[in-house]
Amino acid sequence: MKRLIPLNEKARHLAQPSAAPAAGEATLMSNVVGCTTTFDPGWELDAFGGLASLCQPMEADLYGCTDPCWWPAQLADSMNTAPEWTDGKNSALRDWRELQTLFPED
Amino acid sequence: MIVGVHRSACAVGAKGFRALGRTVLAGILATLCAAAWAGPSPDKLLIEKCGACHQEGKALQRITTMRKSPEGWDMTIVRMGIWHKVEVSKSERKTLVKYLADRQGLAPEESAPYRFLLERRPNAQDVAPSEDLAQMCGRCHSFGRVALQRRDVAEWRKLVHTHVGQFPSVEYSNMGRDRNWFDLALGDVAPKLAKLYPQRTAAWSKWQQARHVAPSGTWRVAGSRPGWGGYSGYMVVRALGADRYDVKYDLQYDAGNHVVGQGDAIVYTGYEWRGSAKLGNQEVRSVFALGGDGKRMSGRWFLRDADEIGASFEAVRSDAVPADTVVAVSPALLKAGTTTVVRVSGVKLGTQFDFGPDVAVQKVERVSPDEVQLSVAVAAGAAPGWRQIGRGAGAQVALYRQIDAIRVEPEFAHARLGGGTTAPVSAQFEAIAFCNGADGKEIRLGPVHATWGVDNFDARAKADDDVKFAGAMEPHGQFLPAFAGPNPARNNLNNVGDLAVQATVADGDRTVAGSGRLVVSVQRWNTPPLR
Repeated sequence: MKRLIPLNEKARHLAQPSAAPAAGEATLMSNVVGCTTTFDPGWELDAFGGLASLCQPMEADLYGCTDPCWWPAQLADSMNTAPEWTDGKNSALRDWRELQTLFPED
Repeated sequence: MIVGVHRSACAVGAKGFRALGRTVLAGILATLCAAAWAGPSPDKLLIEKCGACHQEGKALQRITTMRKSPEGWDMTIVRMGIWHKVEVSKSERKTLVKYLADRQGLAPEESAPYRFLLERRPNAQDVAPSEDLAQMCGRCHSFGRVALQRRDVAEWRKLVHTHVGQFPSVEYSNMGRDRNWFDLALGDVAPKLAKLYPQRTAAWSKWQQARHVAPSGTWRVAGSRPGWGGYSGYMVVRALGADRYDVKYDLQYDAGNHVVGQGDAIVYTGYEWRGSAKLGNQEVRSVFALGGDGKRMSGRWFLRDADEIGASFEAVRSDAVPADTVVAVSPALLKAGTTTVVRVSGVKLGTQFDFGPDVAVQKVERVSPDEVQLSVAVAAGAAPGWRQIGRGAGAQVALYRQIDAIRVEPEFAHARLGGGTTAPVSAQFEAIAFCNGADGKEIRLGPVHATWGVDNFDARAKADDDVKFAGAMEPHGQFLPAFAGPNPARNNLNNVGDLAVQATVADGDRTVAGSGRLVVSVQRWNTPPLR
């Protein structure tokens, strides 16, 4: 990693955590309930409790993540759980409003 | 237990009455039959819906070797529908959850440490007992979801197999791919979970044998709804049979608004109250736990469509607690050197309350048998701190000379953008006042009125001007997030934001400020009751 130099603003933000002191690193012992922070990256929060290291905007890469079962507790993974989740909604950037929630009302 | 009435029995009965020309009675019987459960008995329904895969001989495999909360069983049944296309109607789903939670539920002390999850308390910190369990379980979902189950080691191992088969990313995501995940899960984690959360426990055996008291009766209730403030009132519970209840609410908020409501509730496992009601013009759900031999109930109620907005709830059964039991004092914060009109709410209240030294009750006015109004003068030199003025957990007031600090709670909050099929998730903040005690230690006084503001949290947020896009803060401390979806006005961003939250509180001529942090992130499409 020492040979890699950040070229743009986002890359510099991504590089910052590794330079932070160990005492400031987040651990998994405690987390805001219901959030995943460490699924490289997290879904709601990154490992440092912020947004800088997340996929943004998530809609640009949503299907690239649900297909390989990324964030299965938050999304309808289309590998096993809901293979038809994205049928007819071919562009997440355009069709995200049509995606249905997975858990039915009681 | 569900009372089952078979269609055939109803049909024969109605036919018999018609033959006798008793058409009126036949009509009544038909109505009763329609109202009663018309399907197979719950145990037969379980076999019918689950037996095709789970039955071996006369036994049901897996289902009978675990215990869960009502929500845990509900998620299991729904999961079988999503994964294996098992068709279960809404009424069948409720019947199965009741049947399973009653027979294979959790004892009160087993669910106690993770009630925050059942009660859907927003922004709670989900703490795992050890780092390896946090990494194994808590990196995708709350650890509480695990801790609200009981299995033996073979059953925990089967859950590992289920995970790796259904969600193979557990092995190739961070904290999965850097270790021999499968062997660790089977060899280390499953035995650890079986030791922490075993299927057979003394607590569960004892609870199964205990007499479970029905909640019928009149309850004196009190609580606090962040953003609205404290309330007290009544809940009247009438039994409908089969652990089901009709419920009426009558609540008086400290701010002056009076709210009435009506709904129903069901009690699972002898103590797990789950209610549904219309409170004022809002649909709410309640998650309470019956305790103290049926004399107390506590928990949280929340909006049906926005569970992050809700209120704490503490109740005592009016006919089961001694006279002079206090459930709430409003206001509970009394400033030294001032005289305050205080409302005391409880059960069959007298007029004598002991506020301790340097406090004088100058006037007593009875409002009702359960409520009195006091004029309370606190001397300028009164020692700060909490004082018990009578019987009951609610019989407390805090004296203070000045507010020395304000903390925003939650200190770190999370909200979600909403749009499409997913509702936004707001964040409700409270400004909590603290004062310095005589021993120099901080005393937590409680929520106070504040003026709220938000700003960019850091340089990165400022560079993207998050505060302009992420949403808006309401005067009562509720942050309403913006719409979801990519925003062309932002550079490769939707409306997420990292914000600083500021609360400013007036204390006489002084102002005291506190701050917190709010991350507004994206929606989720998987929304089970236990996240």
